[in-house]
Amino acid sequence: MTRLANPRVQLALRLLLGAFFVYASLDKIASPAGFAKIVYQWQVAGPVPSNLVAATLPWVELLAGLLLIVGVWRREAALVIALLLVVFLGAAASVLARGIDVQNCGCVSVAKEAVESAWPPAWARGVGWFLVVRNLLMLAGALAIAFVRRAPAEAAGRQRAMEQAGFTPAGGTGA
Amino acid sequence: MDWKRFILILAGGVSLGFAWNAFSGRGIVLGQSVLVQAGDELVKAPDAKALLDKGALFLDARPRDFWRMSRIPGALPLPEEGFDKAFPEVEERLRRASTIVVYCSGYGCEASHIVARKLREKGFAAAILDEGVPAWQDAQLPLDTEPRP
Repeated sequence: MTRLANPRVQLALRLLLGAFFVYASLDKIASPAGFAKIVYQWQVAGPVPSNLVAATLPWVELLAGLLLIVGVWRREAALVIALLLVVFLGAAASVLARGIDVQNCGCVSVAKEAVESAWPPAWARGVGWFLVVRNLLMLAGALAIAFVRRAPAEAAGRQRAMEQAGFTPAGGTGA
Repeated sequence: MDWKRFILILAGGVSLGFAWNAFSGRGIVLGQSVLVQAGDELVKAPDAKALLDKGALFLDARPRDFWRMSRIPGALPLPEEGFDKAFPEVEERLRRASTIVVYCSGYGCEASHIVARKLREKGFAAAILDEGVPAWQDAQLPLDTEPRP
């Protein structure tokens, strides 16, 4: 827990998660029709709900990802990402349980060529255990940003730095 | 945790999405399947069965291995992949058919739409079985499961 509270670890988690979700949103924003087809192929929602998801989800990803990167409303943005990941995991579990073959999960690229290309490999772009494990790891990271408080050492360090700079805490006993 | 911020992020993303969909020029029609384009004629499974009973020609747009395993009775294979190669094999039957229905695997399967459009370009009007084989099975309609070479 203390490692997760380390400010450097928190920064790395923010940048990694934020960059992933910003990157993941771009192709979907550029091609809503392609993304809508993929959402429909998951067979979790009908054509109209799939369209609504395709039109709005990438923008939530983009906004939350950008907020994580710049560090503004970071805990709330991380919780939004965590919520998305829980939804993705539930949908992936449903797809796997029903044995549906989704060759391109639409996680990053929605282009049809992505299915036909050699890279990334099929196990990395389809709905399978790689996707589940990756999302679980990202969910852990998002929850760590949202709920693990920054290390007290950092606060103590900040206070020391302020004292060295001549500031004293309000109500303090500084001479 | 500030729940107002949490809601604002979600609402902001959703609003941006709808705005982009409305004004970017890349948007989709939200109220209908994104697979449907102008000129596509969809037919529901029970209506398709009535057409089959009247002698309509059914075309299976799925990969040929799927057709070999099972098919709507009497359907011929015309897979989307390899359309140009397979088309001459069925062209004569197409010319004799009064009604043509194309189907694929349903649920986001676009192959039947693509094959129907390619047929239209060649002068053949073809309806598309809405939601493909799953809808056919959901309507308790029969499939021919005798393996084919």
